[in-house]
Amino acid sequence: MGADLGLRETPGRQAGRRRPDRPQLIKTATITVLLLFTLFGLPQLLSLYYIDTMTQVAVYSMVTLALGVLVGRVGLVSLGQVAVLAIGAWVAARLLFATTQPYPVVLLEAGLITMAAGVLIGLPALRLRGLYLALITLMFAGAITVVLATLNFPNGGHGFTGYNGSLVHIPPIRRPSVAGTDPAYFRYAVIVAILMFLLVLAHIKTKPGRAWAAIRQSEPAALAAGINTTLYKLWAFALASFITGVAGGVLAGAVHYLYSIGFPTQDSITLLAVTLMGGVYSMWGAVVAALLYQFLPALLNNWGVSADWLTILFGLGVLQVLTTAPAGLADQVPKDLARLGRLLSRRFRSPAPGKTP
Amino acid sequence: MPPWSDFEPFIVSGLALGGVYALSGVGLVVLYRATGVLYLAFGAVGAMGALIAWSLGRENTPGWLTWLVCIAAAAAITLGYGLIFGPALAKRDPLVKAVATIGLTLILYGLMDLLWTTSGGEARSLTLPSDNGGFSVGQIQVNWTQVIALAAGVVLTVGTGLFLRFTKLGTAMRAMANDREITATLGVPVRRVEAAAWLGCGVLAGIAGLLLADLVALDATTLTFLVISSLAAVLIARLRSITITFVAAIVVGLLHDLLTPITSLTNYRDMTPFVLAAAALLVMPRGQVMAQSREEA
Repeated sequence: MGADLGLRETPGRQAGRRRPDRPQLIKTATITVLLLFTLFGLPQLLSLYYIDTMTQVAVYSMVTLALGVLVGRVGLVSLGQVAVLAIGAWVAARLLFATTQPYPVVLLEAGLITMAAGVLIGLPALRLRGLYLALITLMFAGAITVVLATLNFPNGGHGFTGYNGSLVHIPPIRRPSVAGTDPAYFRYAVIVAILMFLLVLAHIKTKPGRAWAAIRQSEPAALAAGINTTLYKLWAFALASFITGVAGGVLAGAVHYLYSIGFPTQDSITLLAVTLMGGVYSMWGAVVAALLYQFLPALLNNWGVSADWLTILFGLGVLQVLTTAPAGLADQVPKDLARLGRLLSRRFRSPAPGKTP
Repeated sequence: MPPWSDFEPFIVSGLALGGVYALSGVGLVVLYRATGVLYLAFGAVGAMGALIAWSLGRENTPGWLTWLVCIAAAAAITLGYGLIFGPALAKRDPLVKAVATIGLTLILYGLMDLLWTTSGGEARSLTLPSDNGGFSVGQIQVNWTQVIALAAGVVLTVGTGLFLRFTKLGTAMRAMANDREITATLGVPVRRVEAAAWLGCGVLAGIAGLLLADLVALDATTLTFLVISSLAAVLIARLRSITITFVAAIVVGLLHDLLTPITSLTNYRDMTPFVLAAAALLVMPRGQVMAQSREEA
């Protein structure tokens, strides 16, 4: 799995060249080692508290990945991704209680149903300018909060909502049989996340990715070049909703019990902030963002520091990201990453050749 | 369907709410037209002002002073943000400018949660003296706060319309809405006009925060996200017309409150802004893509 991600990334980064050069191989090796460590080393090292936290990081890395695709690749801003995540979690929980389908099938269904919901919301706004999508998704987030507060998450009851308020012994949301324990479920979540990253990679390297890049540069120019801008924007929105829906499915199994207060409107805003801070033009950004969003609060909680400081930090982070990027969002972060990459590769160059195959 | 008499009190409260939404919406539209910034921190700034006023009120500060401080605090935060980040982001896409105000929202939200923690279980409230007086129309009790809220909405909409039409500053703002560069070339002090727009918007945010804290609840989260209702009105008006903003805001407020007595819908009444805005988007014609290139080039 790990090697796959590395190899797939190799040809795209240097279109035209046949043989991967040394930095590419180093990159491949680094990703492989990192993934192997994450899958097998990390669960051994961490306490149960941090394993659960890292499962959340895996879940939210999918959510920030999806939002990163929208913001970074296409230039669409959604302020309602946590609401989309809630839909995914709701659908998955309902299906898990109602059926005995294998978990991956449920994840797929949750993704597809969430995708349909996302498209329905996005369709009217995507015909218009980006600001309208941001506004309508913010309102959508508020509306979903209202619906969830009334409907509640399924807790094993009957009927469409699957909620029974008078239930005393609430059954937990089941996990896949291969991943019952927390460390096993962590690996399961990481593997699902890797699949989602590969799905995005497959899009970016092919036609949709090129269309998105054109739309991000200039929508009128893309339109003039014969790109169906509404279709591709909708496609991106559908992809993001699908991934977020799948993430919701993984989240349902991770926490066992879902509550509507776990998905407040302000989280959608915080999510955008961390996604921007993590960097929306690289898939690594999604991982960084998820660490900011889930790992940092867990760490601070452990230290007894109020999470409000993080909210303030994220606010400052958004302003910093937006103002110190003189040539626009689309320019600064990859440059910084490239600079960082150069710095890292210079550091790694001397010891690394021994590692490369 | 409940009898008509059940709806009557909600007409009054709905109109009052709509008035505040209208006032907020007009502030948002004017700021957007003048500076290109959709000020998503509007609700958070108002909430901050209201919470400061509440804290001062506990220290036995006279009422009128706390209200002034509320408005002044909101205006100062907004103006400060505008002066620092307005020029820095002036040439950027409206979407980027709007997202930047989310940064301010988060900072304020974090601060409010830190300073006025909600987990203590202590319910705060802010009551204006105008709550006590009032009159009745038929069976319906109307208090002065509700009158003030609706009146503020009407007066500010009309006042802003006249201001934009007949004053020099208003003309400059309208010119900047069309083209910032050309306006600057014509000798209009662009930065100063923008600062005036920021200040005005901040004052409105303070007034809205004060009124909503009284009419709805004094709670950081509630007040921060009540801006969504005004945003719906702004969106329906396509970030353009203050008249449509006013009408849409009144409709949002009225519909929201009129759903309250209907048992099957009462839990869903907070969805009103979303539903109305989504419906408005569906009927909105396409073809804003090209307008965007002209506006943002």
